[in-house]
Parts: sequence; structure tokens; C-alpha cells
Amino acid sequence: MSAIALRMVGADFLKLRKRRGTLVWALVLTLLPLLVYFIVRAAQHSSSPAEHGPAGGTAGYTDAVRILAVFFGPLAAIMIGTDGGAGDLAAGVFRDLVVTGRSRVALFASRVPAALGLCWLVAGFGYLLLVVGTVVFAGSSPNPSGALFLNGLAFTLLSTGVICVVAVGFSALTGSRPAALTVLIGWQLVASPVLANISSLGSSRRLVLSQAIVHFSPISLGDRGGRGVTITMGGATAIIVIVGWIALFGALGAWRTRRMDA
Amino acid sequence: MAAQQAGGSPESSGLAIETRALTKRFGERVALDSVELQVPRGCAFGFLGPNGAGKTTLIRTLLGLTQASAGSMQLLGHPVPAERERALQRVGAIVEEPRFHMHLNGRENLRIVAAVRGPEAYARIEPALARVGLSERAGDKVKSYSMGMRQRLGVARCLLADPLLLILDEPTNGLDPGGIQEFREMIRAMVEQEGRTVFISSHLLDEVEKTCDAAAIVDRGRIITQGPIAELASGGGARHELIVGIGEGQAAAALAALGQIAAVAEARSSDEGLRVVLAGEPRGAAEVNAALVGAGIAVMRLEPVRHSLEQRFLEITSRLDAAELPEQVEA
Repeated sequence: MSAIALRMVGADFLKLRKRRGTLVWALVLTLLPLLVYFIVRAAQHSSSPAEHGPAGGTAGYTDAVRILAVFFGPLAAIMIGTDGGAGDLAAGVFRDLVVTGRSRVALFASRVPAALGLCWLVAGFGYLLLVVGTVVFAGSSPNPSGALFLNGLAFTLLSTGVICVVAVGFSALTGSRPAALTVLIGWQLVASPVLANISSLGSSRRLVLSQAIVHFSPISLGDRGGRGVTITMGGATAIIVIVGWIALFGALGAWRTRRMDA
Repeated sequence: MAAQQAGGSPESSGLAIETRALTKRFGERVALDSVELQVPRGCAFGFLGPNGAGKTTLIRTLLGLTQASAGSMQLLGHPVPAERERALQRVGAIVEEPRFHMHLNGRENLRIVAAVRGPEAYARIEPALARVGLSERAGDKVKSYSMGMRQRLGVARCLLADPLLLILDEPTNGLDPGGIQEFREMIRAMVEQEGRTVFISSHLLDEVEKTCDAAAIVDRGRIITQGPIAELASGGGARHELIVGIGEGQAAAALAALGQIAAVAEARSSDEGLRVVLAGEPRGAAEVNAALVGAGIAVMRLEPVRHSLEQRFLEITSRLDAAELPEQVEA
């Protein structure tokens, strides 16, 4: 990556980092559900240890990864990604960047690592809280191994990162952050689980992004995060589906950025 | 902060802007109709026209914000869009109102554009802020800025390119009289002291007349006329007209006397006395005076007629309106 490209990424990161509303809500979405989970589970455990196991330990870790990487982390990633993809257009400064003569594709490309950087920073904070909660509230339950912790981190980063990149491309394609936000949250929370549950779709359900992502979960998510049936697929298929989604929306976002009237 | 010229390169020679048969259509509507525009370097050039004449469309097309339907154009000697990146390296532009990331401060907004422009632009951030008088407020969020401050920050953003050519679209919109005066002085300094070319689109005739050296008048997507302001105002060419105040009842004798000298192209009586159009140089006024005095006419007043761009503009646009009226009636 050239020095100019690095500076452009830094500038895009600055825009996102300083957007307080997005950052605060992304952190709230990432941290608050984990906090609530650990507090409630700890309270249940302390009031009835025989009925409720410890909030932390291996069991707590599994639930917490599900909360962070499958449910709320992707929502935070959508918030950041849509802001990164359409922020310049929304502020009306896209044309001022275009008149510098810099390639429009380069302008689009610099948004992706910037959004990804902030997304992973937020997800990283979430994972830190997850690890602390797992260890602190482990009680008599065994702690996950170091390898599992690392795999869980990688899964969290994969899950949030892929969604974030797709969100950057999709919001650049639509040119509207509110529209992109609504569609992607609807897709993530409603359409994806519904499609995965329609058995008549058969193996084509492998194309659902969230199904391909959970293939790489280091923990057993049972019914794929409690949101439907398990769609089995090989590792290669999952990788192809993930890369396909990233490539498709990256290309569409770049194409739209290049062709649109600024 | 004088513009650094690139010796021998296209940036330092030829016209600042040149378009040939530039056309832009939006569906059936022709927004720019075979525009032939030549903007010389080192001047403030006004692009004057009523609202909806095509001024912003021309600017957007020149800058590659929208694609031309036909024709060719050059910025600083570089054909665009073929060499758009090189052409725009030394161009700064404000299109419509200057827009910023409101959640960032002034300096951060400049850092974002500097990152896109290249490393040398970073070094220009503080001088550019100082140049527009915003150094003290550069750490404040842009959402707290007045319209005038945003305009100045927009100019500072342009200066990051060390521009040989500045393109400003309706730059005095929203400014109070003091702000307009300041802005005008800044433009003149950029032209006269820093050697930059400033292209200003405006519908404010008075503003263009006070700020610019030359102008083009555009209407309905067509360039009607272009040239130095004085020539445009006088109707093209070196037309010099005098008002001559004479005694009552002397008009016929005066006209007869003026009919004898070559310096007078046309003379007629008017409410003020006589209106005399000189054939050539303004020096002809002395010959007029001598001829009248020689003929025994008491000359009480001899004053050159000041043509305003506004008069000329209204003449042109009303002529166009009249020419198009029959078509509209038929339609």
C-alpha cells in the first residue's frame, strides 16, 4: 500500500472515529448485551447455583461468543460499514474529493480498510469484555483453552469484518446510509434466518452469508446461533460464499462510485 | 503564498480553460449547447448568467463530476477527461456551496482533502488557514461556522492544491456585504499578487464587474459573448461614447460641426445635450471639443458614458427573450 493510500485510509478512519453517534451506538451494541448477559447469569448463579451454572467458563464463553459474533457484533459492523460507504455522499463532500483528480475507485477502496479497522477495534473491545467475563465468572467451571480463545477472536473478527465490508459496498451502491442500514439489518436479522429455514431451497441456502460464516465458528452453535436449521457445507464452499459476497458488493460499490454523478 | 508555476509544462502555457463544442444533455434537455469558452491565464474571469443558464453544469462537466455528452475541453493545457488526474492536480474548486464533514473541525476537514491530494498538501494546511483568516477557529467543529467562514474554509481547501486555477461557483452566495468585500479583495490578491487564474460563476452582474477582468455571458446553455469586461460593457470593440452639454438651441449647429470631423462616428441630440459616439480612440474627445468651440458652441460638459455590464447583459438577454418569444407562441 502506497503512502498516499495509507494517508487516505487514515483520513477515512478519522471521519469514522470522530462520528460520535455511530461509534457510541456500535460500542453499545457490542458491549451492553455482553454486560447484561454476564450480570444476569451471575445473579442467577449466585441465587441458585444448583439450577444455574456459572456465568463464565466454557458454557458462558459459548453463549457470549454467540451474542457477540453472531448477533450483535454484525449489527455494529453494519452501522460502521454503512457510515463508511456513504458518509462522504451524505456530508456532500464526495464531489470535493472527486475534484482533487484522485481516482474514484481509490476513494472507494480507502473506505474499506478504514471501516474494517474501526469495526475490528469495536469488536476487539467486545471480545476483551467477553474474555474478562468468561474468566472472572468462571467459578467452578473450567476456562476455555488459550487456543479456543484465539479461535473465538478470529471468528469474531471474521464475522464482523465480512459483514462490515459488505456494508461498505452496499451503502456505496445505494448512496444512502439509512436505506443501506435498514436493508442490511433486515437481511441480517430477518431474511437470513427465514431463508435458512426454507427447506425447499435446498443446497442453495449455502449462499446465505451468515450460514457460511458460522461454518468457521470454533464453538458448537447448535442450531446455528439459535436462528434456524443447520446448513452443512464444506470449508471450501464457505470460503467461496464469503469471498463471493465480498467481491460482489465490493465491485458493485466501486462501480457505483466510479459511475455516479458527484 | 504565490502559485508555483511549472515552467515549460502545459500548466504554464496556453489558456486556463478551453472548451470546444462542449455539449451536455439531460435526456431531451440541452444544458450546455456547443459551448466555446476560452479563459486566459492570470485573470479573474466571470461566468455570468441567469439562474438555470448552465453555469454549474459547465463547472461540473469541466471537473469530471458529470460526463460531457459531446465536445472537448482542456484544463491548464491538459485534455479532460483523458488527463483528468494531471489537470486537476493544480485546480481548486468550490462547486455550489462548500460542504464539509460537520462533525470534524476545520483543520481535520483540510487534512482529509490533503490526504487525497498528496503529501505536499499537508504542508499547505496551516498557511492556507492563515491565508483565509481561519487559524484561530481551525480547531472548532465546522457546524459552528458561519456561512462566510465556510466559504473561506472552502477557499482554504482549494489552496491545498496550490492551484493555478480556482473555480468558484457562486462564491458570494450567503455572504453579508462585509464578507463580499473581503472575498473580492482576496480574489483580486490571488490574481494580482499570486498569479492565479480565478474562474467565478455568478448571476450577480455587479459582483462580476467589480471582481473580474474578463467574462463570458451564458444563457440557455450557450455562450452569448465573452471578452474583457470593458469591451463587453461597451457592446464589443472599442466603443467610446460622450455626453456633451451645450447651450439651448445650439444642437443643430453642433451636429453640423461634428459632422465635419472624422473622429465622430455618430452624433445625435438627447435630453442631456448631445450623445456622440467616437470613431476610434477616446482622444477623439479633444477633437470634438475643439470642433464645437471652433463653431462657436458653448461646451458646458464633456463626459464619457460609463456602460455597465448590467445594461449590456439586459440588452443581450432581452434580445434573446424577444427572439425566442415567437417560437414559444407558435409552440
